[in-house]
Amino acid sequence: MKRIVGLFLVLAVLVVLPAMDAAFAAGAEPGEYLDRRVVIWNLFFKMMTVAFVVGAVVSGTIIWQCWRFRESHPKAKPTAYEGTDW
Amino acid sequence: MGGHSNWPEWIYVGVVIALMCWVGAEAWEAERLIEHFPEDAKVIKVWGQQWFWTFEHEDGTKEIGELHVEAGKAYKFEIMSKDVIHSFNIHDYVVLLDAVPGKVTTVWFAPDKPGVHDIQCREYCGLIHYNMRGTLYVEEPSS
Repeated sequence: MKRIVGLFLVLAVLVVLPAMDAAFAAGAEPGEYLDRRVVIWNLFFKMMTVAFVVGAVVSGTIIWQCWRFRESHPKAKPTAYEGTDW
Repeated sequence: MGGHSNWPEWIYVGVVIALMCWVGAEAWEAERLIEHFPEDAKVIKVWGQQWFWTFEHEDGTKEIGELHVEAGKAYKFEIMSKDVIHSFNIHDYVVLLDAVPGKVTTVWFAPDKPGVHDIQCREYCGLIHYNMRGTLYVEEPSS
């Protein structure tokens, strides 16, 4: 459990806190001149990158699991749940 | 079960939470940037009604179906509707906001160079919605 708390602490320091800091960095002061097209399309491309990376990792993991843990895999061995009567 | 470890699951959960926080913060930051209008932004009142747009500048000048602004200046639109819900859209500048009866919604933009752009209603508002268009003229700055 301590390790898990430690893991989440490390993640918080590395990712969550800087992200929250960026979001809250400025208060309600007047905005600056900016090109909203740039801001909006940047956000769109970032989100698309995240979505495709997550999609690739998740589907890649599933494909690998299906390939690795098929019955015909050379290293396949029955688990305790499946019994040993092979 | 011997040799089983929960670590991959916990790492997966942690990564998902961190990613969601990051995605949320990025979106929040973008929203904050584009919602805070500059102090010197000129206010243009925009009325949507079936089936045309009316614009009123700060000096009281009104325009119907077309809007003249200057490049390099910021403009804050105060968008209202006189009848049903419309949606004010300047596609080329990614300006898009609903005009809701009884409410004033605001959005701002700063055109960067002279040009002519389409204004279009983006919320189906009745028979002639398709033709509820306008034209944005971005002109050379006067000063």
